Amino acid sequence: MRFGSDSDQDPVLVSVSTTRPRLSLLFDSLRKKEKGNQNKSRRDEADRSIAPEPNLNPSEREIERRKKSNLFEEEIMAWQQPMDGSHASGSKAAAAVADGPGTQRTQYPYVTGSSIIALKYKDGVIMASDTGASYGSTLRYKSVERIKAVGKHSLIGASGEFSDFQEILRYLDELTLSDHMWDDGNSLGPKEVHSYLTRVMYNRRNKFDPLWNSLVIGGVKKGPKGEEKYLGMVNMIGTHFEENHIATGFGNHMAIPILRTEWREDMTFEEAVKLVEKCLLVLLYRDRSSINKFQIAKITTEGATIYPPYSLKTYWGFAAFENPAQGAVGSW
Amino acid sequence: MFRNQYDTDVTTWSPAGRLFQVEYAMEAVKQGSACVGLRSRTHAVLAAANKAASELSSHQRKVFRVADHAGVALAGLTADGRVLSRFLRSECINHAFVYDAPLPVSRLALRLADKAQVCTQRSWKRPYGVGLLVAGLDESGAHLYYNCPSGNYFEYQAFAIGSRSQAAKTFLERRFEGYNDYTPEQLIKDALSAIKETLQGEKLTSSNCTVAIVGRKDDGTVEPFEMIDVKRIQEIIDSMEAAEEAPAAEAESSSMQEEDKGTDAAPMDI
Repeated sequence: MRFGSDSDQDPVLVSVSTTRPRLSLLFDSLRKKEKGNQNKSRRDEADRSIAPEPNLNPSEREIERRKKSNLFEEEIMAWQQPMDGSHASGSKAAAAVADGPGTQRTQYPYVTGSSIIALKYKDGVIMASDTGASYGSTLRYKSVERIKAVGKHSLIGASGEFSDFQEILRYLDELTLSDHMWDDGNSLGPKEVHSYLTRVMYNRRNKFDPLWNSLVIGGVKKGPKGEEKYLGMVNMIGTHFEENHIATGFGNHMAIPILRTEWREDMTFEEAVKLVEKCLLVLLYRDRSSINKFQIAKITTEGATIYPPYSLKTYWGFAAFENPAQGAVGSW
Repeated sequence: MFRNQYDTDVTTWSPAGRLFQVEYAMEAVKQGSACVGLRSRTHAVLAAANKAASELSSHQRKVFRVADHAGVALAGLTADGRVLSRFLRSECINHAFVYDAPLPVSRLALRLADKAQVCTQRSWKRPYGVGLLVAGLDESGAHLYYNCPSGNYFEYQAFAIGSRSQAAKTFLERRFEGYNDYTPEQLIKDALSAIKETLQGEKLTSSNCTVAIVGRKDDGTVEPFEMIDVKRIQEIIDSMEAAEEAPAAEAESSSMQEEDKGTDAAPMDI
């Protein structure tokens, strides 16, 4: 189940540091003064910095006073970082709000995996991804498995922060183990795993310490109405849904149109592999963070199969690839 | 003066290896009015005899819905029973919130038993004075559990608890082997007959019993746990009585054999 022992992990994957930034000291003193609607009032203050209100109550006046110090200004900046996954390196991105005093958690991803493609086919669900992981924008790791089996009936695939995915796998290991230990003939199906992960993801987002992933859960389980295929996803803010075909990350832009036109309910495994490979190839050409080493996995009533990685044949002779900047005004 | 020097708290053993307080709690179950439960492969039925505490009062509720897929019938201290059914409800709803699926009945019964067991091992606590029949549905079909104040729990095809439940048990023992293939209607009829046994001559009407059912249809859809309508119960009781009277007149000649059968059935001795 593990990707490597703790000892051989890249030091950068260790995501908890114990520095206590001065900002949080300031923040704490503010919190004492102003119990209650922290978030809102700070946002209000940020707006007021454009046109200050003359009539302020004492606590607001205090904040106004503090705001004169640029430290507080910086903190507001940190809060207003867009959550789009862009690396806010060097800024005060990681605000110490996730935990109690003394702990600061990484709030932006370091090592990330790219898209996951998944779809239902005749006998079950097929899932595919490349095996790369980037350190920022550097293609740093070339063979990591981003698709794993969960229990007897499910597969999980993850885009986004790789260490967060490892933590999620640890949760799921614990969950399936304790489920198995009941030994009562009941077992968690893909729907239950998906719902559980939805709760975990949304809970962490509400602690302002999200698990920086988009997760895809696929599976097949025998229900009272016969075999039931399941495919769903949940992302770092807890948004979740079920679909017949799902693509995360860049795939959500590049692969979904292909899947929408070419997906059918009764595809054979071979047809499904072909469709998935088409999506992966488009992503390989267009997504700079994808690599030419892919892994395909399937889940049926027989169980999960994760195939060994392989490469696809590429053709770079297309006219658009020869001189990509041609016709793109303003680029170099 | 004192009957017993080993029963002042739950955790004290008697030299004979008994825990008297726990046994007293189990005795409280026998004081309550009777409840029966029985199940087929797909459905489970709970029934209770309603008894008012006085002429001037109404009876207390004995059957509670826990979730769409499960419910309980209780005999003993109703107040304790309500606490436990609230516990069961919250367990079910929490499980449903996290997993978007009903809590398996076996796990529900186990959590209840674990809760009851703790009370038998803490000197500052008392056991719950209530016995619960937990009926429900999960992916392995319909189930019926009996949860005892001692923390023991057992799975049954059919069972009865409460005052004069022995008569109901005897009735069920004679017939339980066919229950797996019973239709919901047949289960309800047998539940009512079993309740009738506990009334000792008092007439069974829709006003002195409660019946509830949960199950799954052949197409896999769940029929949620539901109290059966008073009107429908009365109809079933009426049809049962009509059926009883009609063949009784015809079968008088063969009554000799019937009586033989009656003496063969071994009385249950628990």
